[in-house]
Amino acid sequence: MLKSKTFVKKTRAGGVMKVVREHYLRDDIWCGSEVCTECKDGAPVLQQDARVESDLCAYPHYLIPDTNVVLHQIDILEDPLIRNVIILQTVLQEVRHRSPPVYKRIKDATHEKEKHFYTFTNEHHRQTFIEREQGESINDRNDRAIRVAAKWYTEHLNKAPSVGELKVVLLTNDRANRDKAEQNGLLAYRCEEYIKSLTGNPELVDRLALTSDDQNEITGSKLLFPEHLPLSRIQAGIKSGTFLQGTFRASRDNYLEATVFVQREGDDSTEVLLQGLQNLNRAVHQDVVAVELFPKEQWVAPSSVVLQDDRPSDKETEEEEAEKKVSKSSRLLKPTGRVVGIIKRNWRPFCGMLNQSQIKEATRHLFTPADRRIPRIRIETRQASTLVGQRIIVAIDGWPRNSRYPNGHFVRNLGGAGDKDTETEVLLLEHDVPHQPFSQAVLSFLPKMPWGITEEDLKVRADLRHLCVCSVDPPGCTDIDDALHCRELENGNLEVGVHIADVSHFIRPGNALDQEAASRGTTVYLCGKRIDMVPELLSSNLCSLRSNVERLAFSCIWEMNHKAEILNTRFTKSIINSKASLTYAEAQMRIDDASMNDDITKSLRGLNTLAKILKGQRIAKGALTLSSPEVRFHMDSETHDPIDLQTKELKDTNSMVEEFMLLANISVAQKIYEEFSECALLRKHPAPPPSNYDILIKAAKSRELEIRIDSAKALADSLNEAVLEDFPYFNTLLRILATRCMMQAVYFCSGMDSDFHHYGLASPIYTHFTSPIRRYSDIIVHRLLAVAINADSTYPDLMDKHKQSSLCNNLNYRHKMAQYAQRASVAFHTQLFFKNKGILNEEGFILFVRKNAIIILIPKFGLEGTVFFENNDKPGPRLNFDSEGPTLTVEDQHTFHIFDRVKVTISLDASNIQHQKIRMALVEPVAPFFQIPGVSVALPEPEPEAKKLKLDR
Amino acid sequence: MATVQVSEAEKVYVMHGVRDDLRVDGRGCEDYRHMEIETDVVSNTDGSAKVSLGHTDILVGIKAEIGKPRPMVPDEGYLEFFVDCSANATPEFEGRGGEELGVELSNTLYKVFNNRHSLDLRSLCICPGEHCWVLYVDVLLLQCDGNLFDAMSIAIKAALFNTRIPKVHISEDEEGVKEIELSDDPYDCMRLNVENVPCIVTLCKIAHRHVVDATLQEKACSVASLLISVTHKGMVTCVRKLGRGSLDPDSIFEMTETGKRVGKALHAPLMELLQKEESLGKKRQKVGFLA
Repeated sequence: MLKSKTFVKKTRAGGVMKVVREHYLRDDIWCGSEVCTECKDGAPVLQQDARVESDLCAYPHYLIPDTNVVLHQIDILEDPLIRNVIILQTVLQEVRHRSPPVYKRIKDATHEKEKHFYTFTNEHHRQTFIEREQGESINDRNDRAIRVAAKWYTEHLNKAPSVGELKVVLLTNDRANRDKAEQNGLLAYRCEEYIKSLTGNPELVDRLALTSDDQNEITGSKLLFPEHLPLSRIQAGIKSGTFLQGTFRASRDNYLEATVFVQREGDDSTEVLLQGLQNLNRAVHQDVVAVELFPKEQWVAPSSVVLQDDRPSDKETEEEEAEKKVSKSSRLLKPTGRVVGIIKRNWRPFCGMLNQSQIKEATRHLFTPADRRIPRIRIETRQASTLVGQRIIVAIDGWPRNSRYPNGHFVRNLGGAGDKDTETEVLLLEHDVPHQPFSQAVLSFLPKMPWGITEEDLKVRADLRHLCVCSVDPPGCTDIDDALHCRELENGNLEVGVHIADVSHFIRPGNALDQEAASRGTTVYLCGKRIDMVPELLSSNLCSLRSNVERLAFSCIWEMNHKAEILNTRFTKSIINSKASLTYAEAQMRIDDASMNDDITKSLRGLNTLAKILKGQRIAKGALTLSSPEVRFHMDSETHDPIDLQTKELKDTNSMVEEFMLLANISVAQKIYEEFSECALLRKHPAPPPSNYDILIKAAKSRELEIRIDSAKALADSLNEAVLEDFPYFNTLLRILATRCMMQAVYFCSGMDSDFHHYGLASPIYTHFTSPIRRYSDIIVHRLLAVAINADSTYPDLMDKHKQSSLCNNLNYRHKMAQYAQRASVAFHTQLFFKNKGILNEEGFILFVRKNAIIILIPKFGLEGTVFFENNDKPGPRLNFDSEGPTLTVEDQHTFHIFDRVKVTISLDASNIQHQKIRMALVEPVAPFFQIPGVSVALPEPEPEAKKLKLDR
Repeated sequence: MATVQVSEAEKVYVMHGVRDDLRVDGRGCEDYRHMEIETDVVSNTDGSAKVSLGHTDILVGIKAEIGKPRPMVPDEGYLEFFVDCSANATPEFEGRGGEELGVELSNTLYKVFNNRHSLDLRSLCICPGEHCWVLYVDVLLLQCDGNLFDAMSIAIKAALFNTRIPKVHISEDEEGVKEIELSDDPYDCMRLNVENVPCIVTLCKIAHRHVVDATLQEKACSVASLLISVTHKGMVTCVRKLGRGSLDPDSIFEMTETGKRVGKALHAPLMELLQKEESLGKKRQKVGFLA
């Protein structure tokens, strides 16, 4: 039977459009119950014996939750105890519309066999479909649809012969809906009522989301926050320009400060500063908010105070309201405003730890998220004593106006804090890194083993097996995606080839494997762990260009003269057979060892010579050589605990490989842009705004040096000149600072942007081609190039610049998150290392001077830490901060400048298991005031502005 | 337009019949053929109707869109007509063959509705000078069997009766920026008052008499026709002469009187029928195009 669904909607142009959709009703939708004999369901999902220990429903029953129950109590529904649930299509559609993450979770739950969740497509069932009536709101209509479906189930199951006591129970928190359901003769309960009746599992109550009824009892009635405006007012305000819309970003260092990043039309974007709890008005990091700008007189400068919300208990004191007012040095004033409303919450479940309430038997506790930008969350639990010391996940339910903290509920226990697996899980979750094992659907698209090169491949590919190709990688690398060769041609020129694993041969567009890789975006390298983007069979075997096996490759082959000028470029799909997989050190040894003269060594020497010329050319053009301290752990092979730590060293061969990868990337970028000017996937690195360099210029000035920033070339030259005779590490420190001034390099689609320049590499065009095993961007570039040289067919999404652009956004996000995860992993392992080492005295340099603290870098460990001069308990020493220097004078006795050499003791502060910290205390210069207990703190948390350019190119 | 070849003998036969008030198909001179009307046949329009008169088949769809009022009449909405002569109706319409007829028909419609009485255009105004409803009246000829004008006007009236325009209201914020807001209830809509919408009566002069609702055969026997659009009260909103021949003043007067009489008689049962159809509500079995 055909029905049409009609609705009217407003178009973007301001018109009104009538939309008509056809809607088919069917008779063959089964109820999914084992009891039923009428429906011809082959494998019914809902069990006959659907019994749960409950003093409310002692009989076996099926649950039908309404939309709000699914939305708010998804954590409960996911519990293995809750089984035999009927999810109505009406509910599913509403959930999908209102919260995609919850939708995904409920879908996942329905896919689990043990859960016995059944999706009933009531909207397409002839007897349960209802049309909206005159004067009925859409919500009322959906509630009615749910009731009609529940009613249908009740009657339908009653017809079955073996029904027994089986009943259908509707779960709804809406009183009107429940009353109406009861009038219709249905069983309906509130969700809390039902969960509390589950006598077998009292701990489930903890995971109930707090609904508005309960909030009143929790906090005093004093209103702490101004009201949020309704969405309609916000939208009108944004349209008229009184409000600005942007993403809320809480400050990492100061919980009373945040910025809102406002993206306006065009490229014009601004940052609005927010200060004080009232003005932050319950916004949480990453929410989309509407802000109102203050008049110019009220603008303030961002404070350089480091403030943590560390008060031990739940006391609602107002001390923080006495905000540390910042001296109004007018130069630094930023647009300041306040949050007037929330457009979209971006809450996700947060990892963290429980602060147990000091009152015994209390059930309300504060939860401290691992991410410092997230406020503490109040949760209710009866198992606090078991959860202390564990890493747990908590979800926020809401933030009422009268509560200092948001309310939330316990979701899951990850395991003991400090435990390596738990911590790794935490940092993967916190950085939104997809790390589940690959699903069967994904694995089904892998090539069948044993795999070999076929006749077909030989026909369409260049056979380069005779070439003396070799790969050079870090030690222990199993996903080798690049290999090189170099040989002299008869005409005296050199032929140089870069051979990249042909991953796009194995991953075909659009299949589950491709989608999974696109969603993961990148392989994430943690200390001692790798989260692959593609399944291991590909990453470590079929695509890995290991030595002495035949592998498919995508080759970029240049003919060059001895001055490294490119005479001719050729791209081809090929078959190679690598002759050797070398490490950087091995390759370096071969080059240096004059006694070796085999083909591989000759090839390497040729490459090395060319690479040096290329690098020279690149630097002459203004490419930057930046630096960031990178550390490498020596792992104990048994326990995988770090036993030693050293900063990475760079050898000639590192830069040799890098140089050819850059060249290949640039050549490919040119080629694909030439062929597909609208949809080439490229990578750009925008020039930073001059204000970013302030800190660098100030720092150099403190040593009477000048940094010129008018161009990349000028910057590179002035960095090269900035050398102090008596301070060899100074240049490196400057380069570390310069790295922090840079913008993030990003992928983009050529049709959506006009600025292609790569600032760091001083190249007008750039892309990523050389690591398709670990980056999805490279797979797309491979596909584009393959189409360009007629080696492969195209597909619609590849040529759609909007699809391409949204893919780029995901890749950029994943890359950023992967970097953060990586740094967090290093930080955690640093902690482990110091835990085993005990107390150490080390030399370090002051990297930044803040208002109440200095940030110190220990080059030996690449470790960054903060030394505070203020303390919550005791009055701190008199501090004098000069933002021009910047310098910090303590008690008029000692002035700290940027780059000062200091000595600190480093130890692990494990006294507080909840937050293990690396403690840094000053040893030199010695002064009585430095001995304040607790001048400590801080892991080198990933700083957003710190970029690892080396890895990131 | 579709024409039929008629021999001299046939002509004489038809003319003699008309003279005796007995037409070839048994009708009298002022009788219409069997007529079928169904409204709400195209779901993605705001109002629609299908009329078949003899073998003439016409579908009318009305789409309401928000537009800008005409500068001369800032507080009124307006109608736009478009007549599409489908090649289904006759092979002559293939390609651009139907264009000329389509333009002629739509021009006539503009003339028929070009007065203040037929439809209250003020009710189509949303915000004077800024927004109004524009009703796009699309007429589709599915089959031609004579008397297109009458069938078309009846279908338009039925479709206008069936039209439901979503209710909108203008909200104004503090800065005076006006915004159109739409009710999210699909039942919340505006109806048009179609009482005064005229029907066209085409009178065909055959020999000394005139007939209404001429078949193609009858038309071939006539040299001129008079088109009169009449409201339910008998008011004439438009008169046009069609065909190559001439009409003398007396017979024009006579034909106008007949037109008014027939037109008035046409309106009452039409409205009754439309009301009756609507009262059936959702229970009505739709016939659509499969009838």
